[in-house]
Amino acid sequence: MTASTVASTTVRQEPDWSFRAEGVTKIYNGTLRANDGITLRVDPGEVYGLLGPNGAGKSTLVKQVIGLLKPTSGQIRLGPFDLVADPGAARQLCSYLPQAPMPIESFRVREAIELTGRIRGGDAATVRRRTTELIEGLEIGEWADVIGQRLSGGIRRLAGFAMVTVWPGRVVILDEPTNDVDPLRRRLLWDQVRFLGQQGCAVFLVTHNVMEAEKSVDRLAVIDAGRLIAAGTPSSLKSADRGHLRLQVMLAPGAPTPPLPPWVRDHVRSGHNLVAAIGEADAAQGIRWAVHLIERGTAEEYALGAATLEDVYIRLTGDVLEDRNQAG
Amino acid sequence: MAITAIRPTGEVRSGAAEWARAFRAMIRWNLLSLRLWLALIASVQVLAGAGFVLGIALFFDHIPASAALYVTTGVPVINLILVGLVLGPQLVADQKIQHSYEFLRTLPVPQTAVAAAWYTVCLISGIPGVLISLLIAEARYQITLAPSPQIVPAILLTAFTGTMMGYAIGHAVPSPMTTRLITQLLIFAMFGFTPILFPVGQLPGWLGTVNWWLPFGHMATIVRAGLTTGMVTGVATSYLVVAVWGAASAVLAAWAMGRRR
Repeated sequence: MTASTVASTTVRQEPDWSFRAEGVTKIYNGTLRANDGITLRVDPGEVYGLLGPNGAGKSTLVKQVIGLLKPTSGQIRLGPFDLVADPGAARQLCSYLPQAPMPIESFRVREAIELTGRIRGGDAATVRRRTTELIEGLEIGEWADVIGQRLSGGIRRLAGFAMVTVWPGRVVILDEPTNDVDPLRRRLLWDQVRFLGQQGCAVFLVTHNVMEAEKSVDRLAVIDAGRLIAAGTPSSLKSADRGHLRLQVMLAPGAPTPPLPPWVRDHVRSGHNLVAAIGEADAAQGIRWAVHLIERGTAEEYALGAATLEDVYIRLTGDVLEDRNQAG
Repeated sequence: MAITAIRPTGEVRSGAAEWARAFRAMIRWNLLSLRLWLALIASVQVLAGAGFVLGIALFFDHIPASAALYVTTGVPVINLILVGLVLGPQLVADQKIQHSYEFLRTLPVPQTAVAAAWYTVCLISGIPGVLISLLIAEARYQITLAPSPQIVPAILLTAFTGTMMGYAIGHAVPSPMTTRLITQLLIFAMFGFTPILFPVGQLPGWLGTVNWWLPFGHMATIVRAGLTTGMVTGVATSYLVVAVWGAASAVLAAWAMGRRR
């Protein structure tokens, strides 16, 4: 093959639109490492979860992607673009739903979505059609002509989601998109996130809700204290826990952590919650132990179940979340 | 329902057409953001203008013709910079308090288009107040003004510098509380201690010197030059001072808006 044929083949190829972060480090005030050498790659069409406890550095990472913050060192690239060197390109190629409420007090929901779509570069007709589809898809038609000031937090959150996805960038960054959103509409929102993936967007989902992430992401990274401590598909991350069960014991208020039997492989305590990893063969003695704790008044109730992504997360970060209990 | 396919683009837009599109969109964004307050802003503009024009006369038994002329030709400056210099930074401070500031900074629009859109909104919001103030003054004091085409650049530059100073205060001052204090101080200083509504000779010498370096008296000079004949001198210098303040503020605002921590 001659040099000229190589060149012409290269020109016709669709460029590689993967997102690559390499060694991204953000240090505040010379000492606080909010991000520490984070390297990850997200391909077009992937929904990628960024999980971690509050203050882990998830939002710091995505703010460097969108150009609100500048990495102390490291590279952030999207396709042929260097997003650190060219924040203008980052703003055009990435859509960003921040955690904070959208400034739409005096906007009608439909207006806010359409205008953001136009600002994002969409043509009027497509933006109008997409707006209608999002309003119907998220079931917020009742509020389409209501101004932001009169909306509940959840509806306003959904309006914000529609604003940033009506004309999405190659990368869509969603920082805790389901905060305040009711369970029914959370499912509708995940459908829309899936749709974005099908259309070729790389979606970053920043969350501390492990249960939701497990259901909706293709791959995920766990970030703790600024470092990426694990990455992979939900099942690959759970593979280390295969054959394990989770025994969750709600301790009585004020009760100390009871002595653990030798067959407990791993445990973590947060508040009244004691979560222990046990082997499948130890299920029966696990139940007997938990019942014994309840009879002695050390514990109030227990639950035994299959290991989840949350157990992996707990093992990695030592952080027990309350969402699981709320979700029932 | 057929679902609209979206193919995220890999194209980064630029050029004059893109700038104009962003400019129009941001004018609409500003107008919608202010929708609930537009009527209030318009009323404040008219009341502020009319209030000064009519109120100053209450200080005198018979207001001297020269004082009436100074007030009449100074009030337009207040109308032109009130929204940009006072309301503008307070709106930015509110965005910072409500944490929406970061979202607005991530909108994919050239920052110059964002600034130009805000300038346009401030300018348009000032002009009705200017006209009504002048009409009231002419009726109240039987003054005959002699507007010349020079009034156009005077209005455009005064509003520009006021808006850019407000923009710089809003974006470059990190603390919203400090921003609010600065704007309060500005209102107080502007009305009492700058030669907008009265001749600079009425100020103590040192304060006159300080004001020579500030833009407010010069704004009044260039507006007066456009509304009257032979009332003011040193107009070219005044244009220069106002333009330098406008340009310096625009550069400071651009730096603050483009800054990544």
